[in-house]
Amino acid sequence: MINILIIEDDENIAKMITATLSMVDYNGTCRYDGPSGAEEAMKGNYDLILLDIMLPGMNGFEVMEAIKSCGTPVIFLTAMQEVSDKVKGLRLGAEDYIVKPFEALELLARIDVVLRRSNKTQDIITFGDLSVDIGRHEITLRGEHVQLTPKEFDVIVYFLQHQNIAVSREQLLSSVWGFEFGGESRTVDIHVQQVRRKLGLKDCLITIPKLGYRLESRDSV
Amino acid sequence: MKLWQKIFLSSLALIIVAINVISITLLNNSNRLLLEREQTHAINEHEYFTASFSNAVIYAKLADDKIALTPSEIRMIASGIVEGSGRTRDSAVYDSTGRLIAVNGMEKILPEISLNGFIDGIDSTGENYNVSVYGTDDGYKLVIGSALSAEGSDYRILTASDISEIYAMKKKQTDFVRKVSVISAGAISLILLITVLIMLSPLGRLNVYTKAITEGNYRIRIRPRGSREFRELAGNMNVMADAVQSHAARLEQIAEDRQTFIANLSHEMKTPLTSILGFADILRIKKQVSDSERVEYAGVIVEETKRLRSLSGKLMGIVAMNGTEIEKKPVKLQDVINETKTALVPLLAKREINLECQSQEITISADEELFKSLLYNIIENAIKASPKGETVILNAAMYEGDAVITVTDHGIGMTPEVVQKAFEPFFMADKSRSRKAGGAGLGLALCRKIANLHSAKLEISSQPNEGTTVFITVPGEECL
Repeated sequence: MINILIIEDDENIAKMITATLSMVDYNGTCRYDGPSGAEEAMKGNYDLILLDIMLPGMNGFEVMEAIKSCGTPVIFLTAMQEVSDKVKGLRLGAEDYIVKPFEALELLARIDVVLRRSNKTQDIITFGDLSVDIGRHEITLRGEHVQLTPKEFDVIVYFLQHQNIAVSREQLLSSVWGFEFGGESRTVDIHVQQVRRKLGLKDCLITIPKLGYRLESRDSV
Repeated sequence: MKLWQKIFLSSLALIIVAINVISITLLNNSNRLLLEREQTHAINEHEYFTASFSNAVIYAKLADDKIALTPSEIRMIASGIVEGSGRTRDSAVYDSTGRLIAVNGMEKILPEISLNGFIDGIDSTGENYNVSVYGTDDGYKLVIGSALSAEGSDYRILTASDISEIYAMKKKQTDFVRKVSVISAGAISLILLITVLIMLSPLGRLNVYTKAITEGNYRIRIRPRGSREFRELAGNMNVMADAVQSHAARLEQIAEDRQTFIANLSHEMKTPLTSILGFADILRIKKQVSDSERVEYAGVIVEETKRLRSLSGKLMGIVAMNGTEIEKKPVKLQDVINETKTALVPLLAKREINLECQSQEITISADEELFKSLLYNIIENAIKASPKGETVILNAAMYEGDAVITVTDHGIGMTPEVVQKAFEPFFMADKSRSRKAGGAGLGLALCRKIANLHSAKLEISSQPNEGTTVFITVPGEECL
């Protein structure tokens, strides 16, 4: 279970982040001001901290200074557009920043990147008969190896990490092919069809009209 | 051409002309005096010569005991006289027919003299002298001619004295003056150049100074130095720099305020947008949303949307008031207060607050709707700050010629730091409480705008935990 500390003074935003995290079964804990947030960060055992900049008591930069010693990766949330603020946060040791307002999946994607970098994510994900070892880049279906191209592998990993969540073609494109990839959503469709065929996920990896795809866990079907 | 060059060259030219005119005049003058003296001297000698000639004629008559002398005898006498005076003086004698009868030393210039009619011009009465100067290879001669009557016929007598020295001296003096004027012109030009450069040096400093100001260095000030005009100019330029600096500072302040306003506005808009976008996204992509989740998520969206609506409303109010002329009409304060109170009844009931209003009969010139909104906002703040069951007091009275409206509550109050910032847009003393109440931190900023449009003053006096009084002072000129 991944534990994430949310330090954000706006209660509704904190609530929204907690709800977003719960979609991928991450556990979110909220603190609403700088000092109590810093205290909780030092005390608790968190895998990641989401930190707002404008906080009562202590601002986000001060909190970051205070919690440096605990070594927990930090992503800061900012409504500020100025590059200098982002640079300041990153200089202070933050792993990444997210500019408000943001979409739920964008937040999750950023969190995943940071967690993977700090080896906090599961290396082996199982899904029914399917077992994926992300570290060794291997995938087995009922104990047998399945050959996937690197992109197909990335696609299935992305779906496994976002189970029961509708994923748009654009999100898949940017996560798997990279932000700069100017390809067509047709590419995504072909890869998803391949993954579906090779892994026998016809019933689970469903197409949602006008939106994209969703990998539905078998127990909830 | 630069100013110093113009001043220098024109002064130099004037000085040189003046030196030359003065020295030439002086020279000519002294030369003329010398000539006159020489002429007098020459006339005296001429008279002496004439007299000796007349005497010689008389002597000759007496010695030979003759009644009259023959022309040849007279010619002899003339030759004798001419020869006799030859050491000191050149002379010539003509008889009445114009024939030269005796000459000594004047041979060279006689042709010229006879050519230009000098001899014919001699006054035959003998009272006047004909005087003229002739130049020859040897030098200048002053020639004097007169008529003499002897033995029944007229003789013309010419004497000439050498005045080459005077002309030589004049030439020498002219050369000397020329040299002196060249040297003095050189010296004067040097002194003039230095003086002009020194006198104009403040211009250079002023130039550097204005350039510095142009480049944006508004803090620089020049020390007034040099002549009075430059000191005055420097002083005025300092005054100008003061004005430029204060204008620039004011513009900077305005730009900074605007920057802060926009930054705050962007933050205030992004906060609700973050919740709205986040929850809407969850509702969109999550496969199963329970009823309680749906109510919660959608509830937040509705709440935050309302916040945005209130923000945009207040913002529109502020923007609309910027630069627009308001329509002032006579407004009775009691009426405005009563209507505001009516509008506040639901809020008062909800919060269980009692609003007491006292007002003298005062009529002011105001935009009724804006003034109502001012009162509404201030009373609303007082209500929000008050605990349940408390009373908010509104009092309107004339005080020292101004109409003063006070709104007093016995609520949570504010610290001096909060009071100081209270009018800043987006400032909220207690963010979470204000947000829950749907505030955007723009209420008092809006009030101040309205007050400014009515030339009214807005002041806050507050003690934490004791309460707050807001003073709205409408100046006497706005009261009717």
